[in-house]
Amino acid sequence: MGSITLNHITKVEGHARLDLEVVEGALKRCDLGSIEGSRYFEGLLKGRSYNEAQEISTRICGICSSAHNVAAIMAIEDALDIKPTEQTITLRQLQTIGERIRSHATHLYFLALPDYFGYESALAMSPHYKELIPRALRLIKLGNDMVVLITGRVIHPVAPTIGGFLHVPPKEDLEHIRTRLDKAHEDIMETNNMIASLEFPDFERDKQYLSIFKEDEFGTSQGTIKIGDHIFDQHEFHTFVQEYHEPFSTANFVVKEGRSYAVGALARINNSKHLLGPKTQEYMQGLAIQFPSNNPHHSIVAQALELMHYRETCLNLLDNFAVVQEEIAPVQLREGHGIAATEAPRGTLWHEYTVDKNGIITHANIVTPTAQFLRALNEDIAAYAQQLVDADTSQQEIIAAIEKLIRSYDPCFSCSSHFLTVNWH
Amino acid sequence: MLKPKVGFYAITGCQGCLLSVIFNEDEILDIADALDIVAFPFIKGENSEGPLDICFIEGTVVSRDDLEMIKKLRDRSDSVIALGACACHGNIPALRNFADERVLDYLKYEKNVQISDIDKPAPLAEFISVDYSVPGCPPDRNEIKKFIKEILLGKEFRNYPDPVCRECRLYENGCLLDHTKICLGPLTRGGCLAVCTTHGFECYGCRGLTDDYNFEEYFKLLAQKGIAPAVIKKRMETFIGLEVNKKLKGTQWEALH
Repeated sequence: MGSITLNHITKVEGHARLDLEVVEGALKRCDLGSIEGSRYFEGLLKGRSYNEAQEISTRICGICSSAHNVAAIMAIEDALDIKPTEQTITLRQLQTIGERIRSHATHLYFLALPDYFGYESALAMSPHYKELIPRALRLIKLGNDMVVLITGRVIHPVAPTIGGFLHVPPKEDLEHIRTRLDKAHEDIMETNNMIASLEFPDFERDKQYLSIFKEDEFGTSQGTIKIGDHIFDQHEFHTFVQEYHEPFSTANFVVKEGRSYAVGALARINNSKHLLGPKTQEYMQGLAIQFPSNNPHHSIVAQALELMHYRETCLNLLDNFAVVQEEIAPVQLREGHGIAATEAPRGTLWHEYTVDKNGIITHANIVTPTAQFLRALNEDIAAYAQQLVDADTSQQEIIAAIEKLIRSYDPCFSCSSHFLTVNWH
Repeated sequence: MLKPKVGFYAITGCQGCLLSVIFNEDEILDIADALDIVAFPFIKGENSEGPLDICFIEGTVVSRDDLEMIKKLRDRSDSVIALGACACHGNIPALRNFADERVLDYLKYEKNVQISDIDKPAPLAEFISVDYSVPGCPPDRNEIKKFIKEILLGKEFRNYPDPVCRECRLYENGCLLDHTKICLGPLTRGGCLAVCTTHGFECYGCRGLTDDYNFEEYFKLLAQKGIAPAVIKKRMETFIGLEVNKKLKGTQWEALH
C-alpha cells in the first residue's frame, strides 16, 4: 500500500485533509490538518472595544457559538475584575449545557452514527429507521430551544453581556423547558441504549485527558483544570500548556508539558465520572464499556451519557429557579489581562484578552478544543493505521476506519481558526 | 413534478448557516423530501459532482481554494444562492480589508508553507454571479424555509424591504438609540424579527443596508448624541464593511476616522 490522501473529509464541522503514507507495511507519515481558510479572528479583535469581543468571536463557530460567547465574556470580566452574580452563573451554565445537548445530538445522529449503521448519511438512514431521525431532531430542538430561551437566538447569542444578561427568560418559559427536559427521558434512554449496543473498533491508546474540574459539579465553567492527577488554576494556562507549530505545518498544536492530550466528552467523563448524576452513574455502571476508557471511539458513549447527566442537572438547576432582571454589573475600565475556560461540546475552550486603560483590546488569544486534541488525534490515527496495516486491512477499509476515528473526536475545523492551508506534496 | 437537485456547500465560515437549515427541526425532513439533496458534505458522505438546479453557498471567499470552489459550483449550477452574511456581505472575515496587515502577521506561521490567502476577502458576488441572497448572521431559520418554499412554488423570492426598526416597533421595544447605543437598525434590512434589539442588544447591521437607507440623517443623529465618528465607522465595518465602503463612496463616510 502506498499513500492515501483524503482531500475533503465529510461529516465534520469545517474543512480538513488527511495524508497517510505507508511504505513496506510501515506507517511513514500521518498528517491531519485543517484546510479551512484563515480568518484571523485574534488579529481582528485587536483595536476593538472590550465589549465587542463576545459579539465578534462567536462568529468563529456556529455550533459552539455559545461556548465562545461565554468564554469571551468571562475572560473580559476577569480582565476588568467583574464578578457575575449567582443567577448569571446559572444562566451561563444552562446556555452552554443547552448547546452541548444540541451539539451532541447533531454529532451522534448526523455525523457519527451513519458510520456505524453503514449509511452515507442520516438522511439515507432515515427511511430504514423511522424512529431515529425524528428522535434526533426532538433532542436537537430541546437543546436549541434552551439556547434560544437564554441567549435570544439559536446561533450567535444576543442577550448575554459582560456583567450579566440584557434580557432574562420569563419564569413560565423556564418552567416549560423544565417540563420538556423531564419528558426527554425516553429519547435520551433510547439514545443511550442504541449507542451502548454498537460494536466499537478494538483500539486503545493511553493518553492524558484535560477538562475543567470542580469538586462538586460536572461540566462546569467555574473550576480549576484537571489533567491526569494534576490540577491547576485557569490562570496557570501558559505555565503548563504550550502552543507550538510543526515544521511541516502552520497549524498550531497544543500540548501539556510536551505531551499531547485529549479534551471533550470522553475527557470530562474520564476525569469526573464520579460527579455524574446518580441515575447516570447507575446506568453507566451497568454498561459493558467502562470508564475511564482509552478507546477514542467511546467518545460517543460519553456524549450519550452526558445527555443523560445534563437532563438530570438541568432539572435540578431549573427547580424553582426564580429569575429576575438584574442590573448589569457596572464596568470600571482599567488595564487588565483576563483568561477564562469553558467547556464547549467538543472540549475545553480558552479565551484570553489584554485590554488597555480605555477598554481597547490589545491582545487576543483563543485556544479551541480541536487545536488541543489535534496532536492526540494525529497520534491515534498513526497508531490505529499501523494496527490496521499489520492486520492486512484493505485500503478502502482503512479509509473508512480512520474517518470513523476522526469523527469520534467530533472535531470542529471551523473553530480551529489558527490552521492555514498546508501543502504536503 | 421533478424535485430540484440541490447542493448545500460551505467555503470558509462557521457552518452556522448550514446548521440554520438543519435547525428547522420540525420541517427539515419535509424539506429533505421536497428537494433532491444531492450534495451536503457537512452531513453527507456521498456528494454528487453533477449539475445542480439550486446551489446554496455559505462562507466568505478568503482563500484560493474558496475561489476555485465557488467557480466550479457556479459552472455546475442553474441558481446560486448566497446563504448568510459571509456569502452576502463578507462578514467578519472581510474585516481584513480594513485591518493593518501588520497586526495579523503574528498569526501567519511562515514555515515552508504556502498560505493560500487571497488579498481581499470578499463575498461571492465579487467573483461569481449570484441569483439570490438570504442575508444575516446567522440567516433566520424561518427565512430559509420561506425561501425554499417560494422556490418550490416557482415564486420570485424578494428580500424584506424595510429596516429593522419596522419589526422592532411591532414588538413595542424602546429605541436603543435613546440609550446612546450605536444601533444600526435604521440603516439595516429587516426580516430578522428584530431579534437582537428585542433582547436589548443593538443591531450590528449583519443583514446589509436597505435600498433606501439615509446615512446622512443617521450620522447627524448619532453625532448629536456625541458618538465619535471613528466609533460609528468601526461598528459599521464589522459585518458589512465592503458594502458600506462601496455604497457610501463620496459621502461623509469617507471623511470619518
